[in-house]
Amino acid sequence: MFILHETASGYALFMHTDDASTDTSDLSRFSKTVKLVSFAPFQSAAHALENINAVSDAACHAYLSTFLNQNVAKKGVVAVLDPKLGNAIQEACPNIKVTASETAQEIIRGVRSYLTRFLTGVEDADIVKAQLGLAHSYSRSKVKFNVHRSDNMII
Amino acid sequence: GRGGMGGGAKVMVEPHRHSGVFIARGKEDSLVTKNMVTGVSVYGEKRIAVDDPATGEKVEYRVWNPFRSKVAAAILGGVDNIFIGPGTKLLYLGAASGTTVSHCSDIVGPEGVVYAVEFSHRSGRDLIEMAKKRPNIVPIIEDARHPLRYRMLVGMVDTVFADVAQPDQARIVALNSQYFLKQGGHCVISIKANCIDSTVPAAHVFAKEIKKLQEEKFKPLEQLTLEPYERDHAVVVAVYRSTGGAKK
Repeated sequence: MFILHETASGYALFMHTDDASTDTSDLSRFSKTVKLVSFAPFQSAAHALENINAVSDAACHAYLSTFLNQNVAKKGVVAVLDPKLGNAIQEACPNIKVTASETAQEIIRGVRSYLTRFLTGVEDADIVKAQLGLAHSYSRSKVKFNVHRSDNMII
Repeated sequence: GRGGMGGGAKVMVEPHRHSGVFIARGKEDSLVTKNMVTGVSVYGEKRIAVDDPATGEKVEYRVWNPFRSKVAAAILGGVDNIFIGPGTKLLYLGAASGTTVSHCSDIVGPEGVVYAVEFSHRSGRDLIEMAKKRPNIVPIIEDARHPLRYRMLVGMVDTVFADVAQPDQARIVALNSQYFLKQGGHCVISIKANCIDSTVPAAHVFAKEIKKLQEEKFKPLEQLTLEPYERDHAVVVAVYRSTGGAKK
C-alpha cells in the first residue's frame, strides 16, 4: 500500500509493506516496513502556499495528481490521512485506488514521528524550517484576506 | 522599562524546579523566563538584566505574570510537571496574541518548537508579528477544530497545551493528539468551568472533562485549581497512549 504524506517542503510517497501490522511503537520494526518511493518538492514559496491551500481545502492540486499518476501503478492503493482529500484524489486520478482507513491513520502517525528516518539527508531542523516559512506565509495570507476584518469567533 | 524591579536594585535570579523557568529574587520574588530576544518586551512586561556570575555577561529575563498566564499560574500553584522544558516540541492551542506563547518560546529555547494555533484574526496578527522575532514559534492561524487543515505545518510533538475555552475542548485536544501527539506524550489543559457548563459546580465540570479525556486514550496524572490567580479554573495534566502496564 502506498502512503501519501504531505509535508511543508513537498509531497512524500511511501510504500508500506506489512499489511498485518500497524504498530508503530517499535521503530526498528516499523522502519523496515516503510520505504520512500518518491518525493515531489515544492518549487517555490508561492508554489508551496498554493499547495497547502489546496490540501487545507481538501482539493487535489494538479501537482499532486501528476505526482501520484507518475508514481503509483495502475490500480495501486494510496492511503491518505484526510478522507475528503481522498475523494478529490479519486476524482482526479481514476486509475488508482484511494483509502483513508484507521490503519492508514496509524501508519501516517508513524511516518510523521520518524520522518527524518525515511527521508535521507533531511534533518529535524530542516523540517521545522520549512514549516516555519510556510506557516508564516499561510497565516499571513489568512489574516490579510479576511473579508470580515474582525474575529471569526465570539465567545 | 529601564531595568525594572526597582531599577538597578540587586536582583538574584535562580533556576526554578521546572527546567527553563527562573525566579528573580528582589524586593519581591517573581517568576521569569530567559529572554530569547534581548531588549524586547512582548506585551509590556518588565525585563530584568543580571550579570551571569560565570561569564560576567548580562543576561536578560522577562517577568511572567501568573494573573495573565495559566501556565505561570500552574507553575506557581505547584504543578508536579508542566511538560514544557528546554527542547520540548509543543503544540499550543488557543495561542491568542501570544503572551504565554512567548514565555513558552523562551523556555523551550532554540532546540524546541512551539506550534501556536489561533483562530481569531485580530489576535493572530499580533501572534504573527511576535513570531517574526522568534524563530522557534510556528504561527498557525487556523481553527483548532480542524487539525487536518494545518497538518502540513506541524510535526510530532511532545506536549499539547490547550486553552481554547470551548465547550468541546476535550474533543479538540483529542483530535489534535490523534495526529500530532507522540505516544507517551502529555497534554496540559486549562479548563474554565463556566465555558464548559455554567449550570453545575466547577468540580463537577472538571470531573466530566477528565472522564472525556480518559475515553480518548488519555490517562490523567494531575489536576490543579488555579486559585488565587483564576477563579473556577483548573489545569489537568494527562499522558497519551501510555504504555505503562499491560493494557493497550
